[in-house]
Amino acid sequence: MASINLPEQQKKGESDMDAIVKVTNLKKYYGNGEALVKALDGVDLEIERGKFTAIVGTSGSGKSTLLNMLGGLDVPSEGSVRIGNQELARLTAEQATIFRRKQIGFIFQNYNLVPVLTVWENIIFPISLDARKPDRKFIMEIVNLLGLESKLDSFPNQLSGGQQQRVAIARALATKPSIILADEPTGNLDSRTSDGVISLLRVTSEQFHQTIVMITHNPEIAAHADRVVHIEDGRIVADAS
Amino acid sequence: MITVQNLKKYYGSGNSQVKALDGVDLTVAKGEFAAIVGASGSGKTTFLNIIGGLDIPTEGKVVVDGVNLAGLREEQMAVFRRKKVGFIFQNYNLVPTLTVKENILFPLDLDGSKVNESFFAEIVGLLGLEEKLKVYPAMLSGGQQQRAAIARAMIAKPSVILADEPTGNLDSRNGQNVAGLLKMTAQVYHRTLVMITHNLELAQMADRVLYMEDGRIVSK
Amino acid sequence: MLANNNLKICHRLMWREFRFHKGCSILLVTALTLVSMLCTFSFAIGFMVRSGLKYSYQIQYGSTSHILYYGLNSVQAASVARHADVKETVRLKVLGLLSDDMLGYRNVKLAVADDGWAAATEAVPVSGRMPEADDEIAMDELTLQSLAIPRKEGAKVQLRWTPVDGGEERVDTFYLCGWWKSPMGYTETCAWVTPNAAGRLCPDAPDYLDLGVTLYRPRNLDRQAQEILREQGADKVPYTTNLAYNRARRQRMNEKAFPFYLMNIAVVVCGILMVYNIVRISTVQNARFYGRVKSLGMSPRQIGRFIVVQAAYLCLPAIPAGWLSGFVLYMVTAPYVLLGTGGEHPAFLFLNPAPFACSALLTWFTAFTACLLPARLVSGSRPAEAMKYTGLSAAIPAEDRSGAKKRRCRVPFMALYGIRRDKKKAVFAAASMCLSMTLLCGFWTQYISTDEEKYMREIAYCDYLIADASTANSLQRYNPASHSVTPELIEEIAGQKAVTAIGTVRTMEIPMYADEAGRAPIVESFEGENEEGVVRKAYMSGSPDWVSGYEKFRTTGEYIGIASGIDGLAESVILSEGEYVEGVYDAERFAAGNYVIAAGASETSFVSTPPIGSSVEIGGRQFKIMAAVSYKGHIITGADSREAAFNVSYYMPVQVFEELFPECGIRNVLVNIDHNSQKEFEEFLSKKIRDTGIAVKMRSDYQWEFGNALFHNYVIPIFVGAVLFLIGILNFANALVTGVLIRKKEMAVYESLGMTQLQLRRLLVGEGLMYGGMMTAFLVPAVSLMTWLWTGWWAVYSASAWCVTWKYSLLPMWIALPVLLVLVMVIPLGCLHMIRKESVTQRLQIVE
Repeated sequence: MASINLPEQQKKGESDMDAIVKVTNLKKYYGNGEALVKALDGVDLEIERGKFTAIVGTSGSGKSTLLNMLGGLDVPSEGSVRIGNQELARLTAEQATIFRRKQIGFIFQNYNLVPVLTVWENIIFPISLDARKPDRKFIMEIVNLLGLESKLDSFPNQLSGGQQQRVAIARALATKPSIILADEPTGNLDSRTSDGVISLLRVTSEQFHQTIVMITHNPEIAAHADRVVHIEDGRIVADAS
Repeated sequence: MITVQNLKKYYGSGNSQVKALDGVDLTVAKGEFAAIVGASGSGKTTFLNIIGGLDIPTEGKVVVDGVNLAGLREEQMAVFRRKKVGFIFQNYNLVPTLTVKENILFPLDLDGSKVNESFFAEIVGLLGLEEKLKVYPAMLSGGQQQRAAIARAMIAKPSVILADEPTGNLDSRNGQNVAGLLKMTAQVYHRTLVMITHNLELAQMADRVLYMEDGRIVSK
Repeated sequence: MLANNNLKICHRLMWREFRFHKGCSILLVTALTLVSMLCTFSFAIGFMVRSGLKYSYQIQYGSTSHILYYGLNSVQAASVARHADVKETVRLKVLGLLSDDMLGYRNVKLAVADDGWAAATEAVPVSGRMPEADDEIAMDELTLQSLAIPRKEGAKVQLRWTPVDGGEERVDTFYLCGWWKSPMGYTETCAWVTPNAAGRLCPDAPDYLDLGVTLYRPRNLDRQAQEILREQGADKVPYTTNLAYNRARRQRMNEKAFPFYLMNIAVVVCGILMVYNIVRISTVQNARFYGRVKSLGMSPRQIGRFIVVQAAYLCLPAIPAGWLSGFVLYMVTAPYVLLGTGGEHPAFLFLNPAPFACSALLTWFTAFTACLLPARLVSGSRPAEAMKYTGLSAAIPAEDRSGAKKRRCRVPFMALYGIRRDKKKAVFAAASMCLSMTLLCGFWTQYISTDEEKYMREIAYCDYLIADASTANSLQRYNPASHSVTPELIEEIAGQKAVTAIGTVRTMEIPMYADEAGRAPIVESFEGENEEGVVRKAYMSGSPDWVSGYEKFRTTGEYIGIASGIDGLAESVILSEGEYVEGVYDAERFAAGNYVIAAGASETSFVSTPPIGSSVEIGGRQFKIMAAVSYKGHIITGADSREAAFNVSYYMPVQVFEELFPECGIRNVLVNIDHNSQKEFEEFLSKKIRDTGIAVKMRSDYQWEFGNALFHNYVIPIFVGAVLFLIGILNFANALVTGVLIRKKEMAVYESLGMTQLQLRRLLVGEGLMYGGMMTAFLVPAVSLMTWLWTGWWAVYSASAWCVTWKYSLLPMWIALPVLLVLVMVIPLGCLHMIRKESVTQRLQIVE
């Protein structure tokens, strides 16, 4: 396997006010001619390190597409996405995958835990992919914060929805990524559990100086974030802190 | 319109028995808009499934629009589901191999009934789906799929509309629009509407709010 | 409530399902085509084998009619035709028998042209036509050849024939108007003239017809034949029943076709398994689909219609494609299965709609079952449950994996967990592989174990068997008056340097009589049971001539004896090297000429001759029976008369025979040579016997026959085994494909979490190797054991055990296993490549 040059991870504490995410004139078009769909139509965005940002929009506004771009899961038609010092568009698929594993944490709406692995194994899954040794002390800190100590040997199908989402959060945090991307993290949860999860996201963002970008259609959920960005028809229409 | 007596639904037996519904009594009048609110696991979806003929109770009597659900055979039950009830599912339940228009008209097609073109246009317009009629569900966002599901529930002009978290994936503006639309349909066409929601604001729009907890209806 | 059920929606829904799942649909259609093809092929071959054998019996019998009556009058004939059980009748008015010597022992009847009878005995003119003018005649080619008449319309035919009611031989002239050739006319056939000509030739002919009867239900032909006669009050009329319906022969037909029917069953089962496996790719989605449409109000009747239409559209391309390809396969293999059918391609000889109908039915059944499966899975559930159908038999077992904290999550471990998820699929695949592998290894072992040496020792007693012209064909009856093999010729052959041994055989049929004492031991043997508890004479029930000869012997003591003069090589083969039932061979005393050695059956376990020491009269002279030896039939060629079907042979020295029967010719000459001079000797021999009509069976002929028979015996079973193996591989491959395709979303999750391509590939290959490894660990011991047991039993107890030297071999398995292991790695990788055509984001959106 050819060696892959990756940007060095920025050390913590270094220049906290840096923009960790920089999106410039991002466009994503599907199809052509009459059937042309402009999912993203020129998005400019900067996200500060350590902040909890929410991106709000109605269905079809382009928020999911934006998230996919940030996570390197999709390639823009035009424009650039930078995470840290890395220009995502310049990475090959292979490099993007490795980058993703090291630098990005994902939280999905339907949790997407691996059913054949225990909670602990799920949490350290991305780390294992990297063939690294997990930082036990750090991970236990996360586990305690999320209240999962007693569930480490359980399987995902033995947990409730809220518990599974907390495992997903732990998984995202375990690799100490540059950013965490959360796609409707409370979408499948009832209101009480949703509140719990959102608070946890806030707390982890503060405690671990973790940059979190969350997309949602629910403005009330979005209100918990430090900054709310409105997106509509593939464009940013409002930006409030 | 809907009469429920001592409705019970138990899963399993012995120690691991789960009491999803534990004796529900309810009467909903024709044209009434009832909202059901409760925490997850309180039995709301189970209740709605039973009224809509998607599940059978362990005990109890259910009568919808004069039809006692217990006495129906499979064929009759199927016709009941497509004519008398408009069900809006939480996960939309659109047929992936049919276009949006075909999905909306599905209950009518099953029945072999003709489409009322103006009514169809009206509903589609209200839900903002005019541009998406020839598209397949896979190409739609969650909210758009939900709106298609709502249109489908209304097209056959059923006596009862049962909605399971119909605004779950919609933002507040759209959510309120839809709830308003449902309520209006109920009033104008004298349809009975039972809606499950966790959004208290939407619940307030109903004529009656029912609280469910641990398989029972409790007073506020 | 009125139920207005619209069925058109079902059609539209079904079309969309096809369009959206093209890959799966194409796969299904392909699988169904395969099923249809294999069913068509196996049924067609099985049918052909059975029909071929039945036809060969009919040829032996000489007619396709069920019963032949000899000598009804026209009133009786008409009455029989009207009988309730009689389907149709054909009549023959015989004028007389051709009596030319050159016809040998063939019966050629001069008869009034009858289209029906001609059709039933395959005596319809193929070139030219039936006679229309009174001087025209239609005859078969063999007769024309014997009489040296050119096959030309209008050729002059001068016939010597004897009228049927006695009277003198006469000669009449006709002109050839048509001719044909058919194996059914070998021993007996007709020459056709017009009714007018018949009237002219035999103005006072009696009202005497042969009647061929075809019944509606050809069971118990004897009983029905007698019943019909009784009703006519004509009990004494002789009749014969068709060999093809003889119970023993029918059994033989079924036995021969049985392996093919077995193949049919195997094909159907494997075909269903294959389709089932394909359907399982999307069973969960399909089950949920049915839950979904049920919840939207699709009635059971509509769902039923949906399934039927689905199956029908799958079958629409599959069945005709299967028919075509199955037929092609059938055409290619048929010549190997049905030997000796002459010029016509055997595939067309017994073509019948039955195999096609069967295969269509089975294909439809398979398709319908496959389409029905997902609906059945959720038919009992309420729609609410059905929509959440997962198909997993149980939740992932909550194993005690405490201490998992210590363990790193490595990719190979995930592979193991993946396999435990679907045990049923693995068991199915393993079972079908085991079966086909065992079949292949078993048949291969049998093929290489059949020993040519042993075969030759039993069958070929000498290097060259020279046969008199009248016995050149095995169906031809030996004519003792034929002198094509002359003593001079024998001297010349014997004079050749290459010849190491030579001997001759002469035979003569003579009517003989055995008194009570002579009869008793033989009757006792045949009426008694052998060690398996079967009455001995029952083994001969397939040969009615033997049965009637034996009955005559049992009741009256009269039978046909075959006096046989032997010398030289023939004597040593039959007598010196023979196996004796009773008594001992004393060459000196035998040569003196007062003794004969008797031979009845080929078995030595029971007595089949008059007791030794008793006297028999042959040709007016008395002989004492010195010993009883087992009969060796392969020493002589050609057939004996039908009356001699049950017989006892009496061997005597050649000189004695020549004294008794000076006019009798030499039937067979046995020659052994020094194999180094084979080529020169054969050149010499071929030159010598050219144009004499003499036939020679050479050692190399036997060897060729052995190879041919061996191939003939095993080509189909090995082919079937290979086909089953192919199906097993397809099932296996399919299971692998399924395993990956089902996990599209799972793979997408891994990718989004950072699993690289290499890691994904390693995961799948790891799973594959583990799967393949487990399969191998199971297959090798299972197949080895089963093959060992099966072929071990076969080598000792089966009917072919006499020419078998057991050489246990598992070659097919050693070839197949590497193939499996390669597949197990290549296929998942291929599927992964296909899956990745859809992007990660697309796959993540798949709603489960």
